Amino acid sequence: MISNLRRLGQFGLELIEVLGRAGTIWWMAIVRRPKASNIPLVIKQIYQLGVLSVLIIVLSGFSIGAVLALQGYNQLVKYGSESALGLGVALVLVMEIGPVVSGLLFAGRAGSAVTAEIGLMKATEQLSSMEMIGVDPLHRIVAPRLWAGFITMPILALMFSVVGIWGSSLIGVDWLGVYEGAFWSAMQAGVEFDSHVLKGIIKSIAFGLVVTWIAVFQGYDAEPTSQGIAAATTRTVVYSSVSVLVLDFFLTLLMFDF
Amino acid sequence: MAKVMVAFTPMKETSEIKPHISISEVVFRRGQRRIFDRISLDIPVGKIVALMGPSGTGKTTLLRLIGGQVSPESGKVLVEDHSIPDLSRNELFEVRKSMGMLFQSGALFTDLSVFENVAFPIRIHTDLPEDMIRDLVLLKLESVGLRGASKMFPSELSGGMNRRVALARAIALDPRLIMYDEPFAGLDPIAMGVIVQLIKKLNTVYGMTSIIVSHDIKEAASIADYIYIISDGVVIGAGTPDNLFEQQSPRVRQFIQGMPDGPVPFHFPALDYAEELLGVNK
Repeated sequence: MISNLRRLGQFGLELIEVLGRAGTIWWMAIVRRPKASNIPLVIKQIYQLGVLSVLIIVLSGFSIGAVLALQGYNQLVKYGSESALGLGVALVLVMEIGPVVSGLLFAGRAGSAVTAEIGLMKATEQLSSMEMIGVDPLHRIVAPRLWAGFITMPILALMFSVVGIWGSSLIGVDWLGVYEGAFWSAMQAGVEFDSHVLKGIIKSIAFGLVVTWIAVFQGYDAEPTSQGIAAATTRTVVYSSVSVLVLDFFLTLLMFDF
Repeated sequence: MAKVMVAFTPMKETSEIKPHISISEVVFRRGQRRIFDRISLDIPVGKIVALMGPSGTGKTTLLRLIGGQVSPESGKVLVEDHSIPDLSRNELFEVRKSMGMLFQSGALFTDLSVFENVAFPIRIHTDLPEDMIRDLVLLKLESVGLRGASKMFPSELSGGMNRRVALARAIALDPRLIMYDEPFAGLDPIAMGVIVQLIKKLNTVYGMTSIIVSHDIKEAASIADYIYIISDGVVIGAGTPDNLFEQQSPRVRQFIQGMPDGPVPFHFPALDYAEELLGVNK
């Protein structure tokens, strides 16, 4: 009984220690002395994390938009409201599916890549040699990736939503025969920037922060062995994905009126 | 732990000159394990000193203590009269300009070319114009024999070449101290001969104080001026390569001669052999 309590306490202390280390990385990388000379590094990371994720985002966005149109049409046509298909798909994508699914995809593709990269740099002593030369790896390696993460995440989420809407229009209008005028005009009338699109953007910025932070921390904290890196990469994907979904619930609760 | 009487060969010729590095009574712990238990040693200026000892005794940790990557629990680490653990971040940055370190795996930055790797410390620590940086980098690469590889990337180089480029990077700012972490590990005879010759050349031509951490008795003894053998967190033997081989201490002799059993036992602690076998059969 006592040993179980002790183990629980030890787990709690370790958890706090991990959160503390993660918070320290966040603080030292972003807040302390961001340098203008790091901008080329940030741009390079925007390419690595953002541009190279565009293909997966576009493909997934198109597929989900198409599926939403298919399933939405089936249900709406029962009530004769199929002209609201465009509005429904656009709202769902912009407010929920866009930020969340692109967050999950980003965690899987970019998050795991960042963790593996930083973990490998740690294992091959590149971070150590950088320190010995006098360069803080938190500034040179970690900070550019953090900045790139939460710059690209909202852009990718928007791209996802846009491609999704286009995909749904292809299915809904061109194939299933929803009246084009109603499809687009209902969407234009019903989707507002302030109450719908902006909230989706805020969500995706939050997801970008969380996913990149977890990815960077897991890489920096990984055991410098091949097993350690594999475990760290898995943790990144799992923790990021769960965090995105749970955070989505709380953000939705906070931002929208219920 | 029983105190071991060790015969040290004093470094007579440098006893009047202040040592480049002075480590005194350093205690360092990692988790529960005491890695260094009041260890003391001096590194004289301009000499090649080899640090040897069984695996896992923390020889690399000693290099990290000197470089300021970790701090000791107690004791002094002095490099050219600077107390490393007490330096501020900016002061440590300046001191690191005069230190070079060659890591075991080379540790080149894989996303940069050979040229950019060697130019990296120059760009960080100086404001030199591009053409001057180019000249310096080519000079350093020429001294390790790899000027022709300047446009290649680390992934295209062999292990030995990787290490030579890392050496060029470590000497990019003409440091007064250079530390080698297992420079001979995993190299073929030719590559090993190249590295040995380069280490010797850097020391005699540039007068760089050199610290070599190595297991390789033969190679280290062939170029070192002085050897420290470290085990269980303290120095158990020290001397020039010649008189080290004549030392009587059993721990030193086991290490030098590579005897599988001795003060460092062959058998990991276990139950009585006969009892364990019979117990299983029951």
